[in-house]
Amino acid sequence: MVLVNGAEESGVVGQTIAEFLNQRSAPIENIVVEQNGTIVHRADFDTTKISENDKLELISFVGGG
Amino acid sequence: MQEPEIQGLKINDVYEGMKERNVKGSTEKLAAAHVTIAGAGGLGSNIAIALTRIGVGHLTLIDFDTVELSNLNRQQFKLSQVDMPKVVAMKQNLQEFNPFVEINIHQVKVTHDNVKELFADADIITEAFDNPAAKAMLLDAASEFYPDKPIVMGTGMAGIHSSNTITTKHPRSNLYIAGDGTSLGAEGLMAPRVMIAAGHEANMVTRLILGDKEI
Repeated sequence: MVLVNGAEESGVVGQTIAEFLNQRSAPIENIVVEQNGTIVHRADFDTTKISENDKLELISFVGGG
Repeated sequence: MQEPEIQGLKINDVYEGMKERNVKGSTEKLAAAHVTIAGAGGLGSNIAIALTRIGVGHLTLIDFDTVELSNLNRQQFKLSQVDMPKVVAMKQNLQEFNPFVEINIHQVKVTHDNVKELFADADIITEAFDNPAAKAMLLDAASEFYPDKPIVMGTGMAGIHSSNTITTKHPRSNLYIAGDGTSLGAEGLMAPRVMIAAGHEANMVTRLILGDKEI
């Protein structure tokens, strides 16, 4: 089981962060990802995999300022 | 030797007079603080004015852009400043509000490669970009180079939604995010609501300088 922003999500174990984010609606470049409390740097999106029991927090930014 | 004056008043009287209504005990901490603001647009110009007025001693403003007519519905520039680099125009305006603040400016685009250098002397990193990818980039890079520095950010202040949907959130130890989190800049951005988010950011920065880490 993987928790994404507090909600259970199935079928994502083994995916890379990049694969996981590309399935979502928000553009990948607007999102910062925390995996178990640590920010996954953008350069590591293609190589960092999601494991069983991971807690992911997605911080998604919108334009305007 | 004659004592130097500002507007016909003794410098020290001006300095003390301008602090008179600040919260007791805040002046020295504010004067010692260094805040770096990334972006001098709707958020950044309003944040910079607020922090300048209360006497934050050292401000660094970063923005690559020049003032355009379309900025003037929310950004604190003047018609006479169109086409000027925003950081140059902003510095002029801030110095008129409070000449006792040291203002450093960089007319440069913030990228992952220059974050380390640009924010080295910041006590608090303040994000005030328009572009969402730039916001995400700065949080990513700041967490890499300066994981212990507080970072205050903004997301979602567009349209004419209720003022009360704009809040400050504190998702992790040193990260603060103000805004409604959802309204898109494409809806239109106008001074009243952008200033609410800027006020949230500026007040969080002020609280952090004065030692309060709670939202």
